[in-house]
Amino acid sequence: MSAGLVLILVASAALFAVGAFALVVRRSAVVMLLGTQFMFMAGGIAFVAFARFGLGALHATAGAAVALFAGATAVAELAIGLAMAVLIYREQRNFGVDAERG
Amino acid sequence: MPLIGALPQPITSAPVVLFIYLVLILMVGSALASVLLRNTLYAIGAFSASMVLVALLYLTIAPFLLFAFQLLVFTTVSAGLLLGLLRETTRLKSSSLGPLSREWIIGAAVSAAVLALLEVIIGVTYWPVRICCSVPPDFWATVTGAYVVGLAVLAVLVASAALGAGLMLSMPRGGQPRRVEPHVPERRPRGGGRQP
Repeated sequence: MSAGLVLILVASAALFAVGAFALVVRRSAVVMLLGTQFMFMAGGIAFVAFARFGLGALHATAGAAVALFAGATAVAELAIGLAMAVLIYREQRNFGVDAERG
Repeated sequence: MPLIGALPQPITSAPVVLFIYLVLILMVGSALASVLLRNTLYAIGAFSASMVLVALLYLTIAPFLLFAFQLLVFTTVSAGLLLGLLRETTRLKSSSLGPLSREWIIGAAVSAAVLALLEVIIGVTYWPVRICCSVPPDFWATVTGAYVVGLAVLAVLVASAALGAGLMLSMPRGGQPRRVEPHVPERRPRGGGRQP
């Protein structure tokens, strides 16, 4: 029993799939934002995994640096997205991006 | 001389492998719960839990600095933003309890106990020292040398996001929310006469 690149990448792909599911299926602005956060996190995990186990291990700090950038970008995206969600809520009194489904 | 060095071996230590499996399963499960839960507060809680689990995953496979950033900065900022959203949308502006009520005193005591415990843990484990001393020596050289353009772009991006979010939140509220009125057919008087 071991934990290597494949295991981390499978988990990263599952996390990305959960985020894509939230983005495509759900119509709540908050849940869609959480979905994009999960996709960002999945990308960061894949970078770190390649830096730890894959060919990128020769430059291990590069993977961590990219994951750091991805996390900061995700937080910035969350800030602007939540401001948009607040505006949607002020207009419609719910977080639905579709007027019909909500 | 080989062009590419030998690849690092997978982690084989049984406790660490079990820990990684557990963290990955809980991470995907909490992410799924965050997406599927209808209650916004529970969804935010599940999201924060998955962020903490990502930090724990980084603790096992990444430099300690990334774990600290993920746990202390990204998780805290994300949870704070989401709770700010809840506060804005549910009008939790002020508490109806007095400042010296029993609930506030109990909450302050619990908070003080938790902070004291955190202080003890930090003091015992030398977290700040570990954070600054466990960073690989070429990490900051990599960040500020190879990724200087990315760093500048990131600074502009974060500043733009903060400015945009501030501008949007400071917009004046546009009156009453839009309501959909039920369609009522117009009644016409019998005989087509004119009403007074």
